Amino acid sequence: MTVTARPAVGSGAVIGTTALRRHLNLVRELAITQFKLKYTGSVLGYLWSLFKPMMLFGITYAIFVYLFNVGRTSPHFALQLLVAIVLFTFFQEATATAMSSVAGTGHLIRKAHFPRSILVLASSLSAFITFLINMTLIIVVGSAIGQMDLGLRSLLTPLFIVELYALVLGFSLGLSALFVFYRDLGHIWEIVTQLLLYGSAVVYPYSLLTHGHRLLGQIAGLNPVAQIIEDVRHALVAGNLPYPPGVNYGSGPAVPWMASILGAATYLVPLSLVAAIVALGVTIFRRLEPRFAENL
Amino acid sequence: MNAAAIRAEHISKRFRIPLDRASTLKYRVTHPRSSARYRDLYALRDVSFVVPHGQFLGIIGHNGSGKSTLLKVLARIYRPEGGSLSIDGFVSPFLELGVGFNPELTARENVFLNGAILGLTRAEMSRRIDDVIAFAELQDFTEQKLKNFSSGMQVRLAFSVAIQADAGILLMDEVLAVGDASFQEKCFDVFSRYKREGRTIVLVTHDLAAVSNYCDRVLLLDHGQLVADGPAADVAAEYRRMVGARSEKEYQEHHEEQPAGEARSRWGSREVEITEVRLVDAAGQAHHTFASGQAMTVEIDYVAHQQVDDFVCGVLFERSDGLVLAGSNTRIDRITLTCPPAGGGGTIRYTIDRVRFLSAEYLLTVALHDRYDNRSYDHWERVMSFRVMDESGRVGLVETGGRWSTSSTGALGEQAPARVAEGR
Repeated sequence: MTVTARPAVGSGAVIGTTALRRHLNLVRELAITQFKLKYTGSVLGYLWSLFKPMMLFGITYAIFVYLFNVGRTSPHFALQLLVAIVLFTFFQEATATAMSSVAGTGHLIRKAHFPRSILVLASSLSAFITFLINMTLIIVVGSAIGQMDLGLRSLLTPLFIVELYALVLGFSLGLSALFVFYRDLGHIWEIVTQLLLYGSAVVYPYSLLTHGHRLLGQIAGLNPVAQIIEDVRHALVAGNLPYPPGVNYGSGPAVPWMASILGAATYLVPLSLVAAIVALGVTIFRRLEPRFAENL
Repeated sequence: MNAAAIRAEHISKRFRIPLDRASTLKYRVTHPRSSARYRDLYALRDVSFVVPHGQFLGIIGHNGSGKSTLLKVLARIYRPEGGSLSIDGFVSPFLELGVGFNPELTARENVFLNGAILGLTRAEMSRRIDDVIAFAELQDFTEQKLKNFSSGMQVRLAFSVAIQADAGILLMDEVLAVGDASFQEKCFDVFSRYKREGRTIVLVTHDLAAVSNYCDRVLLLDHGQLVADGPAADVAAEYRRMVGARSEKEYQEHHEEQPAGEARSRWGSREVEITEVRLVDAAGQAHHTFASGQAMTVEIDYVAHQQVDDFVCGVLFERSDGLVLAGSNTRIDRITLTCPPAGGGGTIRYTIDRVRFLSAEYLLTVALHDRYDNRSYDHWERVMSFRVMDESGRVGLVETGGRWSTSSTGALGEQAPARVAEGR
């Protein structure tokens, strides 16, 4: 079957308003609305999105430092933990919310026509706004109390955040489309994120995962979540920490910390995985999109 | 513009109704071959039509005929399995009013969000927001949350935003079903404006009057197929014929065991069913013969197999030769009947304090139907006959209840009124 549509010439304000511009406008309106709605009706409002990672931080810090006696050796552990938790909370909440962004908007999908990916984009962007505010707060507060250790590597941070957002978007697209057909995914994804939380050295130092073995450290670093978190930690909190011995990048431009751990070629693996997840997410979404309306 | 606004050729839309619930992974894992178990339901079959620019097209059909599906195909919400569709122009993305309204947002915020779905940017909407609010007559409520609005206010706001769409082709699904008479008038004012502006409108509705008044052309769908396509009046008439035949058939399918004679004189969908009809006197005694001037009550026992939203009870009196003497129903007499929940029932009484019919044999017809007599629940033609006896010697059909009086002018010009008779 074929469906063709071309915009009419001379249909009012549509002239000059490209489809893309209209769609971006809708993304923005939906994202802002969701952000607003999330925090209206609760007394503390936005503070909750700050409290939750702070609580997790407090608990894990107490457990690892006082119970397991790890992390005390590093002067950066507290802030590294906080940064990692904020990054991971974004990953977890953005994917979980975006997963139901299509299935939860059935009324709109059944009654109005627009690219469905707008819903996923808006949902993840709304979580991204929260994340950016939290991240800024940490950097400001961390710098104020003199705990930030910013080096040349910190300039790479925006790139890692872009990588994280791409990963979130890739997962969100795939999950939101599949969730329309398989509601079990909600539970499965909860388990997967728990595994990622403990498997990606979020709540403990990366060294604890590797036990000093170089190979173990390299394998764990293939996981893009671990790579992004460890990279941001070493860009923002321990930016001046020297690269491990055996890596000689000279005094050239800043190099991602994990590239020094994994080696330049192997470092492409987590990056390619992110690209693959994005490609897979887009493919799944495109494939299932035409069937959303009749399954909601 | 020469090209057609909408050109639909051989459109088919199939829904796969799964016979098992396969929407959990467990089911998928434990029933690996289950994907083959579904039933195909064709919501649209080989539908073709061409809509020229500027036409006001109506689509009618009973529930489940595929008219809303067709509209969704035109809106590109559903992708048809077969056929081709070409659309020339910007199609309004909305099918219904208030799509995407959020009760937690203020009127103003909802207008911007709704506008964004319509394709209006924030800047464009900012220029129009005052007009939108004014048209909806909600100037004092812009910062109120939508959840505090009455449904009428919400509909006004939704309509006011929807007409901002700069679309050349507008698709509307039952927009007239909501709102009161003055709202509908407003709708039609806007429709008329659209017509003047040469926009193409496709309206799906149940409202045959609206279709006849506004549509240039009407499509009638039945079971997913296009059965009529033509001027509004002709297609509306065809639809009425179809509805009549359908309710007859429905009744016969459900009551095949009944004698054919009764089937001809009794029809309806039987959500509410008449169980017994009696004629009783003032003492509650059932009779088949009444004296003229005596009290008579029609008692109708019924059961509700299904709770219906509205039902109206009517009675009709005919002379045995079929001459209709009198009839009324609860809607005309401004009585509201409430339907008991499924399984419940009751008795409806129609009391005539003094029977004014004169000596003859009479027939009683009773009916239960919806408010506008579009749908008969149980229509029982000539359910019983009764006789009225009048020994006064009056002639004709009815006793008028008239009174006689006279006045005469005497020689001295005195008036001497005298009541001679009182017609009893």
